[in-house]
Amino acid sequence: MKRPAPRYSLIVLLAAATVASADDWPHWRGPNRNGISAETGWLDTWPASGPPIAWKAEVGVGFSSFAVANGRVVTIGYANDQDSVVCLDAEKGTVLWRHSYDADLGNKFFEGGPTSTPTVDSGRVYTIGREGDVFCFDAATGKVIWTVNLQKDGGYPVPAWGFGGSPLVFENLLVLNVGDAGVALDKATGKVVWKSAATEPGYSTPLPMKRGDETHLLLGSARSYVAVNARSGREAWRVKWVTQYNVNAADPVVDGDRVFISTGYQKGCALLQLGKSEPEIVVQSRVLRTQMNPAVLEGGHLYAVDGDTTEKTALKCVEFASGTEKWSRPLTGSGAVTIADHRLIVLGGTGELMIAPVSSESFTPTARANVLTGKCWTVPVLANGRIYCRNAEGTVVCVDVRKK
Amino acid sequence: MALTRREFMSTAAAVPFIHLRNPHRVYKTALIGSGWWGKNILKEAVAAGQTKVVALCDVDASAIEVATDQVKQWNGDSPKGYVDYREMLDKEKPEIVIIATPDHWHALTTIAAVKAGAHVFVEKPTGHTVHESRAMLKAAKESGKVVQVGLHRRIGPHHVGALKFLKDGGAGQVGMVRLFAHYGGGLEKPSPNAAVPEGMNWDLYCGPSQMRPFNRRIHPGGWRQFLDFGNGQLGDWGVHWLDQVLAWTDETAPKRVYSTGGRQIKGKPVLNEKEQTTDAPDHQVAVYEFESFTCTWEHRQFADNKAEKHQIGAYFYGTKGTLHIGWRDGWTFHPANPKEKELHEDSQLQEPDGHNIKLLWADFLESLGGSRAPVAGIERAHRSSVLPLLGMLSWRLGRSVQWDGEKEEIVGDAEANAMLKRPYRAPWVYPT
Repeated sequence: MKRPAPRYSLIVLLAAATVASADDWPHWRGPNRNGISAETGWLDTWPASGPPIAWKAEVGVGFSSFAVANGRVVTIGYANDQDSVVCLDAEKGTVLWRHSYDADLGNKFFEGGPTSTPTVDSGRVYTIGREGDVFCFDAATGKVIWTVNLQKDGGYPVPAWGFGGSPLVFENLLVLNVGDAGVALDKATGKVVWKSAATEPGYSTPLPMKRGDETHLLLGSARSYVAVNARSGREAWRVKWVTQYNVNAADPVVDGDRVFISTGYQKGCALLQLGKSEPEIVVQSRVLRTQMNPAVLEGGHLYAVDGDTTEKTALKCVEFASGTEKWSRPLTGSGAVTIADHRLIVLGGTGELMIAPVSSESFTPTARANVLTGKCWTVPVLANGRIYCRNAEGTVVCVDVRKK
Repeated sequence: MALTRREFMSTAAAVPFIHLRNPHRVYKTALIGSGWWGKNILKEAVAAGQTKVVALCDVDASAIEVATDQVKQWNGDSPKGYVDYREMLDKEKPEIVIIATPDHWHALTTIAAVKAGAHVFVEKPTGHTVHESRAMLKAAKESGKVVQVGLHRRIGPHHVGALKFLKDGGAGQVGMVRLFAHYGGGLEKPSPNAAVPEGMNWDLYCGPSQMRPFNRRIHPGGWRQFLDFGNGQLGDWGVHWLDQVLAWTDETAPKRVYSTGGRQIKGKPVLNEKEQTTDAPDHQVAVYEFESFTCTWEHRQFADNKAEKHQIGAYFYGTKGTLHIGWRDGWTFHPANPKEKELHEDSQLQEPDGHNIKLLWADFLESLGGSRAPVAGIERAHRSSVLPLLGMLSWRLGRSVQWDGEKEEIVGDAEANAMLKRPYRAPWVYPT
């Protein structure tokens, strides 16, 4: 079998920095907000019988992913006319605390339930529900520190599928994809620090990006992708990007001064080159159409699920700079991908978990197992030797991939 | 000697099907209602190769923008965008108009299109109230234009197979038909109203219906459960199955219709300045009394379960056994005689949305020659669409209605007859 040429310098560098390191995954897209974990020393091959399932739990209907920090796993689910923020013991799966509030299922063309992921920061858990209920909890006890409803209290319109972006902590701010180009709250109090026009947002999570001395936050708005100064909310640039039903959902992917954006509904993708003035679209195609989950970039290549949940979907590898498709593998009913230690962790749309080396030449899984049934659109999370996966119904499985 | 089409087909088996039509005839085609379903139809039209897309019409500018981009991908056409269908008809003079607006707009747009000289492919049900449907039929007849209605189950292979089995007496004498469509769901919490989004003409969306605050639950795609715009599950799903019943029976209309149901699970409808819920019933039973059989419809939007084998479809109960016609599950005959084997035919649908629009469009194109009516032509589709509309009428009225299918009148009930129409918001005028 032909193997990709090893990149010695990178491996040596990473090995030095991360010998058998285990990592938390405290928020959406992981520690570096790029969908990649540096965690090493976990099993990427399993016996024929599959990997051991450490525990299973039921958290309610929804598509919220996991924040894993300090031995706790937090996610959100819907049951009995309420959303519940559920904090589980990362090792045992027992419920440490739970906070419920009235919510609508919102099952318009899908199962419904919450779609954003909690954020853990400095002993606090931050969440936003589909109708604008923002919470700050004490991470250990689940006690509500503050709460605000941005629709009722702030007059911000709720997009068709509810607020879907996850909270971002930036310095003292909690930034949310609410309004035309975000709203920033004081993370200690929930008071508004800066805001944008009360028009519809998209569904992405604010993504920080360094630009000179400033940090910009990139957001999918209803009809554009927009960058704002993180401290002031002042708009830096905007690219018109109209996707069906205003579903600008996938976070941009940043490399230096280039920004990749991609959305579903046959819209496609573009690579933006940032300069001194307005960004320039240098490559535009339909090679990647990420309807919900953003691509993961490693070694100059994007790895992502292409296509809508209602159409033919494929796991693809696409060269970042050129937009050239390197390989494509059909998936059943969408799915999600993340990367850890140069391995793709893929959860197929019907519950097949696959591990494969990151390679622009082929997708060659070293391990695979059906860990869930039903519909799986939620990004799996590896943290501290465990992979957390969920389905739409709210069954969570913890797959034990620790080396014994 | 004149050959019937069937005879011609059998003698010309070696001739490719396409030769029956003029392969060079390309129709200037416009779409009114450029959302999800409208584009599903237009995509099939483009794939059939006799379409030049000249215009996309929608009250939501985003929908036009997205659809324009998609059409470009399909065949390179560059249609013009329009917000107002009247302006579009006037400027573009399309030869075919596809209409996939919410139901409350079907009548006015269809009538205007045929009067402007276009053939029409309009979504089911024909009208939102009975007399709208009748006005559509009248306008189609007067114009001489072909109007095909999106009742694709008229031509879907497993439906055709099942109805042939029934008509050949496979199930014996059928005395009872049960139609149903069940989904999950629960209590519905009101959604906040919102400012009308950029680029959306909400006044034109509401059109002849009352003005109400904009709400994301309505648009995109949620209007079917709002009675200003649609007729709930009975209008959406029920019309397909009631159409199957009329495709099977020799009778043309029921004698009596009764319906009951409510929103005991979703909760009372809410419509105020701050928020809204849907207002269609979350469960409903409708009874259609025909001369030779009784037909019931039921739907439920809660208690999704595995206790019932089928969630969607029709049971025809005959002396020889029970035929189930389903959706993706095809049809299955369960014989009364335990010694006989079950019979089954798989569905042959277009995915992801599980329809047979390709076949229905091909049938539409063939019928444009004028030699025969399309399989779901306005005349048949009108009769089928009246049934869910009568069911909804009885549900609102709270009593049964005796139906004179010949005169299209409710017998001896002035209040009920008045409900065959609805008030229109000015300046829109109810069609006659």
